[in-house]
Amino acid sequence: MIELTINGRKLQARKGMTILDVARENNIYIPHLCWDRRLKPYGGCRLCLVEVEGQRKLMASCSSPAENGMVVHTDTPALRKARKTVLELLLVHHPLDCPICDKAGECSLQDLAYKYGPSQSRFYGERKHDPEATSPLIDRNPNRCILCGRCVRVCWEHQGVGAINLIGRGFKTKVSPAFEETLDCEFCGQCIDACPVGALGAKPYKYRARAWFLESRDSICPYCAVGCTLTLDVREGRILRVRGVDGKGVNRGDLCGKGRFGFDFIYGDSRLTSPLIRTDGELKEVSWEEALHYVAGRLKAIKEEHGPDAIGAIGSPRTTLEDNYMLARFMREAVGTDNLDTSARLGYAWVLKGVEETYGIRLNPVRLDSPVGKDAVLVIESDITSTHPIFGLKFLEAKLNGSRLLVVEPRKTKLARHASAWLRIRPGTSTAFLNGLVRYALAGGVHLKKEITTEGLEELQESVKDYTPQRVSEMTGIAEDDFTEAAREFITAESRLLAMTVSAAENQKGIETVRAAANLLMLLGEGPEALQIPADYSNTYGAWLMGVRPLGKGRDLYGMLYSPGAVRALYVMGEDPLVTMPDADRIEEALKGLDLLIVQDIRMSETAKLADVILPAASWAEKEGTFMNAEGLPQPVPKVVAATGDSIADWMILRNLARLMGHDLGSMDLETLQDEISGLPPETGTQRWRFAPSDWRLKEGPDAEYPVVLVTGNIMQHSGALSVMSKSLSHVLSDAFVQISPEDAAKFGVEDGGFIRIVSRRDSVFIKARVSDEIPEGMLFVPVHFAHARVNALTFASPDGTAHLTAVRLEPKA
Amino acid sequence: MERFLLKNIDSPDSAGIGEYLRTGGYASLKKAFGMEPADIIAEVKAAGLRGRGGAGFPTGMKWDFASRDPKFPKYLICNADEGEPGTFKDRPILEKNPHLLIEGMVISAYALKSERGYIYLRGEYPHARAVLDKAIAEAYEAGFLGGDVAGSGFRFDLSVHQGAGAYICGEETALIDSIEGRRGQPRIKPPFPVNVGAWGKPTVVNNVETLANIPLIVSMGAGRYSEIGNPECPGPKLFSVSCCVERPGVYELPMGIPLREIIYEHAGGVRGGRELKAVIPGGISTPVLTPDVLDCPMDFVNLPKRGSMLGSGAVMVFDDTVCLVRVCWRAMRFFEHESCGKCTPCREGTGWMRNILERMEGGFGRDGDIELLQDIARSIMGKTFCPLGDGAAGVVLGFLRNFSDEFMYHITNKKCLAESG
Ligand SMILES: Cc1cc2nc3c(=O)[nH]c(=O)nc-3n(C[C@H](O)[C@H](O)[C@H](O)COP(=O)(O)O)c2cc1C
Ligand code: SF4
Ligand code: SF4
Ligand code: SF4
Ligand code: FES
Repeated sequence: MIELTINGRKLQARKGMTILDVARENNIYIPHLCWDRRLKPYGGCRLCLVEVEGQRKLMASCSSPAENGMVVHTDTPALRKARKTVLELLLVHHPLDCPICDKAGECSLQDLAYKYGPSQSRFYGERKHDPEATSPLIDRNPNRCILCGRCVRVCWEHQGVGAINLIGRGFKTKVSPAFEETLDCEFCGQCIDACPVGALGAKPYKYRARAWFLESRDSICPYCAVGCTLTLDVREGRILRVRGVDGKGVNRGDLCGKGRFGFDFIYGDSRLTSPLIRTDGELKEVSWEEALHYVAGRLKAIKEEHGPDAIGAIGSPRTTLEDNYMLARFMREAVGTDNLDTSARLGYAWVLKGVEETYGIRLNPVRLDSPVGKDAVLVIESDITSTHPIFGLKFLEAKLNGSRLLVVEPRKTKLARHASAWLRIRPGTSTAFLNGLVRYALAGGVHLKKEITTEGLEELQESVKDYTPQRVSEMTGIAEDDFTEAAREFITAESRLLAMTVSAAENQKGIETVRAAANLLMLLGEGPEALQIPADYSNTYGAWLMGVRPLGKGRDLYGMLYSPGAVRALYVMGEDPLVTMPDADRIEEALKGLDLLIVQDIRMSETAKLADVILPAASWAEKEGTFMNAEGLPQPVPKVVAATGDSIADWMILRNLARLMGHDLGSMDLETLQDEISGLPPETGTQRWRFAPSDWRLKEGPDAEYPVVLVTGNIMQHSGALSVMSKSLSHVLSDAFVQISPEDAAKFGVEDGGFIRIVSRRDSVFIKARVSDEIPEGMLFVPVHFAHARVNALTFASPDGTAHLTAVRLEPKA
Repeated sequence: MERFLLKNIDSPDSAGIGEYLRTGGYASLKKAFGMEPADIIAEVKAAGLRGRGGAGFPTGMKWDFASRDPKFPKYLICNADEGEPGTFKDRPILEKNPHLLIEGMVISAYALKSERGYIYLRGEYPHARAVLDKAIAEAYEAGFLGGDVAGSGFRFDLSVHQGAGAYICGEETALIDSIEGRRGQPRIKPPFPVNVGAWGKPTVVNNVETLANIPLIVSMGAGRYSEIGNPECPGPKLFSVSCCVERPGVYELPMGIPLREIIYEHAGGVRGGRELKAVIPGGISTPVLTPDVLDCPMDFVNLPKRGSMLGSGAVMVFDDTVCLVRVCWRAMRFFEHESCGKCTPCREGTGWMRNILERMEGGFGRDGDIELLQDIARSIMGKTFCPLGDGAAGVVLGFLRNFSDEFMYHITNKKCLAESG
């Protein structure tokens, strides 16, 4: 423990803290401009200078370690003079265009200049007049830049991107992408929040409002399951901007591009404003009363004629706990059926099933900071920095803090680029890789620290006996030496973590992968917390907990969507199966065969276009509720703006409908609903470890006729239904595309930007090709969420939960 | 005085390994291999060698820090960036006696248990580049570099890394950034390079001349070596003398020699027998002095007592025809141009000072400009990230302390004192 004195107060500090850290912890104010909690000290601005007794020079508190016995002063005449001069220096060349600067009112330079008194204008300097540089979402105004370097450092040190740097020297230094080209990056916008002045701004916000007219409300991001806290800035009932605020939320102020720019999906053109009923083939606007009476009447009739099990419902991983809970009660009580499920069936459900088979527990929430501090972190065929961007940052942080980051991945993803070792695996073969690790550990190649007491060891041994390093190398394409090296590293590490994602959008991992991973970890004596598989969307985890899945003999998603004729009526809430789920043709057939399709959504989705009745739902930020993130943390989502058109909250629609069906679910305002939810029995289970042998074979391997494998997934800027409604995100990317390796492009005569036909055993699609060296030969990567591309017509669903990697062939458009 | 560092440079083949060997070269290396690394470090400490790059840090102590750090590998970097106006003292070693430097580096590396060395060479020294490349090739050929140096089993590889013309890359941490392939900007200290240097590993950065002293210390022994020059900071010292003298050039003289002797005995006195007006004793970033300090011994201890520094030992002599406002303005142009831009006071302040000096020099000076200059310089002094900014402020303060009359004259009469006199 270090003891020091600041401004006469005796304070304690831990080793490694700077003077500024100690001051901040004790609420002692020291001005700073270039310091950022997330970054290494820089020491450039020189505002944080302090006096240390016995030191000849003033010291920069942000970069001077606190030492025992130090006597520090943070506010003396000499310091005030020094700071004032620094500010004066910064202001000489500054354009002082505060009246038209969007940062005015929340600008650190402005605030500090105000605090330290006006500059006496002793100097006049030529103002800078570099042109502004604009890019799809981020504007740069170099004239306002004070060269604190935070944007550059956040981009490289924290985000691992390095899209911008300081170029030039001295006074001529400026922030710029390489060779002064147009900024083309991930568009996380972290640099915007990092900038203390108005030199970087969110383009959609430009000239929209003065900071002091904004009202700020905190909410939870509607995109992925990280559950970041967003600060929404609202003016006159409209959200104008989203910011991250340092230290706030599970994200502690970090945001990705979806969270920062994607909020405008609620203003999308396709929003539904009124209930619609199909009459004579045409959708006609009707009143809520008419719509609900119609739905209630039809549901009752179908139930009377065919029984309640002729009706089914699909819930949503993107609506609130309350909405999903109400859907479950509606189906079970008002309709009387257990036919209920969500898209988690195609992904996260397999994770939970695998975890239950192996560890014996029902749930396995992740911990967002789990990678940090582990000796070895193994990432299995998962682009976590794209699917769960802020969770992904933790893997970079772990690496920076000394973890060995082992990335098993066919694509040159960000994690692969930052890996300590990148094992470029053949897509869809990671189960074989993991089984190989299990065999390697069992074969005594390395010493296992803990005795194995887990049940089922013999079956496990038997099941992996063929996965010799040589065989694994043949199956996965990873060189034998690289495999054994990684195996040894992971197995002998003092502490370790294995992470991946399993999602409806992806087709290269399945329950076998989860089993193999759990087997490996149990063998090494690691509990379920070493297995980090996050739920995918903002409320995937919550919807599962709310019982939106068959709890008894009800039909699951496969039983409803992939079994044409199995149900006569389907209630789809906040989901667009035709776009987000595999084998679109099959789903279309099932939907078209229904007597009644009810779609309740915020927008006219592809599925809605087939519906008999469409009910407009209020969206995120238009209603109050709760999201539960991948950590199992319930977080309140407030109503911030008025609902669009006549839309109302999903749970209210369902409550009203139940009444009309003669089933009052209780008075049910939000409060009683939330009480009821918090009173639900916890989903527990005791750990009981058991190996679950995992078999690996490709269901649809590449062959002579279909020689290339198609991998599907989400990308950084888009993930399914919401993001494609966002104008901002669509600025960055709005066209469907398939990524193809330069080798295959040459082999199949594909040109970058040209259209190709991809043919699978089920269907074919036309799509634009992007040649990319991120992709290995023999693989195509395609993001799944662009409705017009309908790439999910190519893929298939596997009800047994195995990976449904799809083999295709390519036909360049003649 | 007997010449040690520039011993053979008058011979036309002085840069070749043959001539070097013929005059006893690489003998110190063989002697060093008979010693324990720790003993060499102790010997350098005892010799009292202080770094010749400008800061005068005790070399033995620097080595001691690096060798105590348990991390490996360790790197040895020779700082041959030599970018400061007035400073060209490393050049004769680089161009005429490169094997002395190589021998010094191999001995140093052996003492530090370093297997990898770099010479960071000033971008504008193309001739030195060619000489060094040839000398390094010769040393490899002769077995003084490579996998088994002189049959000792010790490995040392050496190569030249050429800068791209930024003065700041002479600062040791910016230099390391540059070698690593980054934008050269000073790093935060601590940690110091001796613990966390190139690629995060312990790294010793020494000046060319510092390293060239090592073979001498080994061959003479600390005792005899420390008899050269001022016992408080002994050894031979290279002085590059320039501007208004009869014989500008590099002179090897004992440390502590009075300034008067350098100018009048060695450099042939003031050009044309004119009157001496001012001297910058250690390169453009050291404060200017008046002729009344001519008897000051030129070393790390005595010059600070007179308000300046030894710096790199670059003596710049100005006679009564030189306008000092102009000198100060030109110096500031250099600092403004070379400021790396990392910290506010230096990045913005050098430009202002240049601005004010420029208007003075051009005859547009205003009342109060001297006070203004003084105030900015004081506000910069001690508050910048690295010594470059301090140097810039120190130069202005030095001129204003000793020659404020001349600056005043410029403001009131809108012309040079020197030209009107
Ligand atoms: C702006 C600046 C420029 C420098 N340029 C040089 C240089 O060109 N050569 C040099 O040897 N040292 C230079 N130095 C000093 C180095 O930082 C470092 O102190 C020196 O190389 C250490 O070697 P020494 O201990 O042998 O003197 C410079 C320092 C500063 C602040
Ligand atoms: S753009 Fe902003 S964050 Fe980046 S260096 Fe300039 S002032 Fe700092
Ligand atoms: S990481 Fe996920 S929760 Fe966080 S801002 Fe991005 S999409 Fe939203
Ligand atoms: S004083 Fe600051 S701006 Fe100047 S060279 Fe050093 S670090 Fe760069
Ligand atoms: S905050 Fe310390 S120098 Fe900028």
